[in-house]
Amino acid sequence: MKLPLATIKSGGAASWAIRIAVAAAVFAVLLWVPTRGSDPTIGYCLDAFVLMGAAMSLNLLLGFTGQISIGHSAFYGIGAYTTAIFVTRWHWSPFQTMPMAFLIAFVVGVLVSLPALRIKGVYLALVTLALGLVFPQFIKWPKVEWLTGGAKGIDKAGFNFGRHNRTYSIFGWKPFGDMRANGALPFYFWIGVGIVVITYLVCRGVVKSRVGRSLIAIRDNETAAAVMGVNRAVTKGIVFGLSAGLCSLVGCLGTIRTNNVTPDSGYITVLGGITFLIVMVIGGAGSLWGPNIGAVLYIFISVQASNWSNDSSTMPFFLRPFLSWSKVPVGDGIFAILLIALMFVAPFGLVGLWRRLSAKAVAVVPRPFGTASVTTSSATPVAD
Amino acid sequence: MMRRTSVRAGALLAAGALLVAACSSSGSNKTGAATTVGGATTTAAPGTTAGGSTTTAAASTSSPASSTPAATTWAVNTKDCVDPAAADKAITGTLHLGSVMPLSGGIAAAAFAPVKAGFEAYIDYANKQKMLGDVKIDVNIQDDQYNKDKTPGAVSKLIDGGVDVVAGIIGTPDNLAVRQTLNDSCIPQLNALTGSPHWGEVKDFPWTMGILVPYDIESKIYAKQLSVMYPKGAKVALFYINTEFGTAYADAFKELAKQYNLDIVDTETIEGEDATPPKSQVTNIAAKKPDVVMAVPLGAGCVTFLNALAAAKAQNAGWNPATFITNTCASSLILGAAGPDANGIYTSGATIDIGNPANATLPKVKEYLDIMKAAGHADIATTAAAGWATAEATVAMLQQAQKSSAGLTRASIINAARNFTYTPMLARPGVVLHSNGEADPFLAQSLQVIQYDAAKKIFTDVGKLITEFETK
Amino acid sequence: MDLFLQRLFDGLSDGSVYALLALGIVIIYRGTGHLNFAQGEMALFCTYVVYQLGEWGIPLVPALLLGMLVGFALGVTTEVALVRPVAKKSTFAVFIVTIGLFQGLNWLDGAIWGDQVLPNSAVSKQQQFPSLFPNKATDFWNIFGAGVRIESVGIFAMVMVLTGLLFLLFNKTKVGLAMNSVASNPESARLVGIPTNRVLSFSWGLAAAIGALGGVVFAGQNHTVNMSMMFGVFIYASAAATLGGFDSPGGAVLGGLILGVIQNMVAGYADVWVGQQMKIGVAFVVIVGVLLVKPSGLFGTSKVERV
Repeated sequence: MKLPLATIKSGGAASWAIRIAVAAAVFAVLLWVPTRGSDPTIGYCLDAFVLMGAAMSLNLLLGFTGQISIGHSAFYGIGAYTTAIFVTRWHWSPFQTMPMAFLIAFVVGVLVSLPALRIKGVYLALVTLALGLVFPQFIKWPKVEWLTGGAKGIDKAGFNFGRHNRTYSIFGWKPFGDMRANGALPFYFWIGVGIVVITYLVCRGVVKSRVGRSLIAIRDNETAAAVMGVNRAVTKGIVFGLSAGLCSLVGCLGTIRTNNVTPDSGYITVLGGITFLIVMVIGGAGSLWGPNIGAVLYIFISVQASNWSNDSSTMPFFLRPFLSWSKVPVGDGIFAILLIALMFVAPFGLVGLWRRLSAKAVAVVPRPFGTASVTTSSATPVAD
Repeated sequence: MMRRTSVRAGALLAAGALLVAACSSSGSNKTGAATTVGGATTTAAPGTTAGGSTTTAAASTSSPASSTPAATTWAVNTKDCVDPAAADKAITGTLHLGSVMPLSGGIAAAAFAPVKAGFEAYIDYANKQKMLGDVKIDVNIQDDQYNKDKTPGAVSKLIDGGVDVVAGIIGTPDNLAVRQTLNDSCIPQLNALTGSPHWGEVKDFPWTMGILVPYDIESKIYAKQLSVMYPKGAKVALFYINTEFGTAYADAFKELAKQYNLDIVDTETIEGEDATPPKSQVTNIAAKKPDVVMAVPLGAGCVTFLNALAAAKAQNAGWNPATFITNTCASSLILGAAGPDANGIYTSGATIDIGNPANATLPKVKEYLDIMKAAGHADIATTAAAGWATAEATVAMLQQAQKSSAGLTRASIINAARNFTYTPMLARPGVVLHSNGEADPFLAQSLQVIQYDAAKKIFTDVGKLITEFETK
Repeated sequence: MDLFLQRLFDGLSDGSVYALLALGIVIIYRGTGHLNFAQGEMALFCTYVVYQLGEWGIPLVPALLLGMLVGFALGVTTEVALVRPVAKKSTFAVFIVTIGLFQGLNWLDGAIWGDQVLPNSAVSKQQQFPSLFPNKATDFWNIFGAGVRIESVGIFAMVMVLTGLLFLLFNKTKVGLAMNSVASNPESARLVGIPTNRVLSFSWGLAAAIGALGGVVFAGQNHTVNMSMMFGVFIYASAAATLGGFDSPGGAVLGGLILGVIQNMVAGYADVWVGQQMKIGVAFVVIVGVLLVKPSGLFGTSKVERV
């Protein structure tokens, strides 16, 4: 069999056809899930959205700029708490709190980027790790307890569809019906979709813009980039800020979904930051779609693993000798192995692997010089 | 999924599982501190009668199939339900009972696996004894890894599987995360295995009930005990884990401290993920030489705290404070690791000390131990008692609902639960589960203060059962 | 005054444990330039192994030595099988591998031993996790009015002895000198004929063994072992390594001790303002402050890069 099997011109009809087909498939899934899918399925999709948004924001920083951050859980937490505080204290609508959360996180991100100018690589990882650890502690600090609720957290912090606010109407149209029945989950689902789309568009916009090219320049060789006139401070500041802001949006989603927030909830602790990193790496650092694939895979494996733990007879036979004796659920173990294996086989994540393999099957030929479109380079992960 | 380092309310270890309100029988007037919604405590006016229960603000039910209340018995309003018919539908054949517990993923989770075993063992027993007649109980316990973000997913799974009743969910945030959903779906959320004062919010969440003595009540019971031990007042140092669990105790204790002449001379906290022994905290406490130390650590922290305290006592000759510790630490399993450092600590319990060989011959205890041995769970019988007792209370509620005029429906189940009086088989004498609509939303509000003997590894009673904080 | 001394001694004892773990972090870093995120978990795994050996009736000292041996083997295997092949691709990939190891080892601990606090009278024969030093409540000395636990003194002394031994190793033995040269310039070291790969493996193994010692000591102090035990310590150890300089073992030890003392002093004297929860805040301030002011730490060497 002669490789490649086929040749497609980038920007040509075939590549557009593929793009449209993929988009249509995604759209179909997006419509099916909230209308026909079961509640747990919608719930898993929401989990995936949260991870998608967070991983994409982290990717902006790490995949494209090469700055390691294990502390994005702090920005998630900023989003979560901003929503909670503004909703309970000043009765804002959760929608209104999102731009606020973005702003606050942006500012904090820029502040964090200042030391990042001098600190690189593993040291930066440590600083961000410490940031991720400090955030929950800060929330519990007695001096700010009046605002954050301390260890108890804040309740009734989201839309709070109680017995009195049962429908959500857009100009008289009630698309979700009675929220208390099943309406709330699809509603949150669409909010999640919105956030993911916005995050994706922002990331894409940044990467393909001049700022994006500066980022890649910095990542590949910072000194050379500086010599070439890239303003490192501004670029890094903007990127850190954007990354932080985007991550905070999914924090808002988290609070909306469970209607409360506590300093120990899922992704506000530093282990959440590590999860985001894992998701991003699995999917593929440095590619726009990688984090999304990673998020879907992560949720899928988590759910499967917890099913297996509940009932080990459902575990596939080839895994059983390795995992069925475990006294704890096997999800963590699977991810650890997957992570390590990926670094051997596909350091650019699954998307990178896919690109490599599919490049063997299908070659994409760039347009002749002088025509419009620009392709994104398949990125290499940071080498700092 | 991810390993949890933050530890929260919970290393429930059997001895303190069930707490019961010892409301004296029929209608005598008693004053007492009643807990109201939101955990603030008010002293009931002397005129409050035991029988003066109120109906919910949502008025009496109009749906004919729901249990017909007498004018003064609480009943839930199924009109508010998303699907009132489902709430009033008769349950036949199989009753689907669900729960969500931390079965994996961290310190607190480890303590709860025996709870699941005890829970399922009782349901097994109930089915064998045909306690619900022809109706069989089918149990489905999901795992949320003690992560409140996972609880909604687990509950969704249960609802999709057609669950009729949910009982015994562990963890305050976990229960909170699904409270709205369950109330909207009109599915009884019974016997939440946490002591949070939140489960008293009957008006907003009529379908949700807790079973443990609320943490704040436990704390107040210790304060009360101190007022008996130190009638002239005492200096107290507080030590607690900085989570909702610990702060619930601390806040409640501070509330009563003034009333009982207890002077809080030092307050120290420890973070959940901090595994280092609390030396600096204990040094600070020892510097003030309090008469009493009130401690609310968790998990392995129970052991390190007691070690550090014992070391400090040894280094400060002449200082020997009475040490009170939360009953979630009070299991001989954990205390064994503390060795002689745990000797003489005070804690509380509502169930009989299963670990005490002297109690093994008591008929109910023997029955329980035999059943657990037959199920192959003899080694965890002590810690599984919490699950057993919860399941027992749940089945008793189901039985009462079945006997009611409406038969076995979701609405009748929650109605039964809120008008409930029952003595669990492993309860201490005098401990009775009692609820009464909005007036008394907490099943259990009494505890026996007990003291630990490290050498013999048993608990001995100190004073009488404290029923002061029962809502009558 | 005696309170000050008490806090000082408490801090030194906390710091000794950080120092042990920080030593491991630094030895790996100076040899290979990688941060071993799994340092704490490797230590924890070996601690569990020691617990298990204790369950089988083996006394503490041989069990500890066996545990350290297991640690050594674990470190070497990691370097050879996981780090070396990936290091060729990028440093980032190695970091991810250590994160994977961090999670995987922790999961493995739970998978094999469960996630309860051990020893646990339901499943264990031992009452408490054994300690190398007498650590009953009454085992302390009175120094100028402050109570100093024999165990704390023992741990501190052990760390000092270990530092001394390492000093001898690095400066007086062939292996140590080889490690030094590989650390300062791997290319030249290879050219001179030093088996760089074997030296690197040895570094990892040594670091893991020292970490195992740290874990066992820490568990002995706590009387228990559980899955979440080492994460906080790892963070503090990283802060200590940052403070002392990532390529200076002596700095790591000193950094650990200083950090322990600062934490205890802050918790004791700034209690009202800062409180206990800011123990991690202290570590954070230390990390950021050091990296901003003197990134190479107190004793580390600054790297000069050719542009």
